[in-house]
Amino acid sequence: GSGGPLARTIRAKLTAALQPTHLEVRDDSPLHGGPPGAETHFGVLVVSGRFSGLSLLQRHRLVHEALQAELAGPLHALQVIARTPQQWQSDPQNPPAPPCLGGSKR
Amino acid sequence: RLVREHPVVVFMKGSPAQPLCGFSNAVVQILRLHGVEDYRAHDVLQDPDLRQGIKNYSNWPTIPQVYLNGEFVGGCDILLQMHQNGDLVEELKKLGIRSALLDAEKDQEKK
Repeated sequence: GSGGPLARTIRAKLTAALQPTHLEVRDDSPLHGGPPGAETHFGVLVVSGRFSGLSLLQRHRLVHEALQAELAGPLHALQVIARTPQQWQSDPQNPPAPPCLGGSKR
Repeated sequence: RLVREHPVVVFMKGSPAQPLCGFSNAVVQILRLHGVEDYRAHDVLQDPDLRQGIKNYSNWPTIPQVYLNGEFVGGCDILLQMHQNGDLVEELKKLGIRSALLDAEKDQEKK
C-alpha cells in the first residue's frame, strides 16, 4: 500500500522539494521494535537530478531540510539514499536498513 | 570541543563494545573493517544534553554522527556509501590512518 499518513507526508514533501525521478519511502519502524505502522523510523531512496554535483552530505541535508518539521517531531530516524539519475541507472539498488539491536529497551 | 579531541570521533547510541542501535552498530562495524579501533565514542544515551547539543552543532537530526578531524562527515548511510565507493579509505589516509582494507587489497593483488 502507500503507507500511513506520515509516509504520505514524506512522499509529498520530498516530491515537492526535489522533483525526484524515482522515490521510495519505507516505514522501518517494525525493524526497531515498533508495531507496523508506527511510523517512527523511515528509509527513503531519492533519485533526483538536483543532487548532481553535490556531496553526500549536501544531498542528505537537502532531504532533511524538506522534512524538517517531521524530524523535529515524530520521525526518530531517517535512512537516506540519495542518487542522481545517472547513478541510479547504473546501480538500481535499495539496500535494507541495518538490523536493530534493541535500542533503548536494552 | 569534543569533536576535535581525536581524528575520529563518533557520537552513537551505546558503546563500540555494545552498540544499542542498528545504525550506530553499522558505524562501529565499518570502522572495524578498516582497522580503526582507536577512536573516541560518545554514548548520547548517557547524556541528553549531549544528544541534543550535538544535533544542534552539526545541524543534523539523527544519531549516529561521525566526525573526521573535527569535521562532520555524516551518519551511517553516508559512512556506508563512503565505505562502498572507496572514499572512506581516502579520508582515513588524509588523517594518517592506513585502512586495513588497503592491506587486504594488496594481498589480493599478489594472488
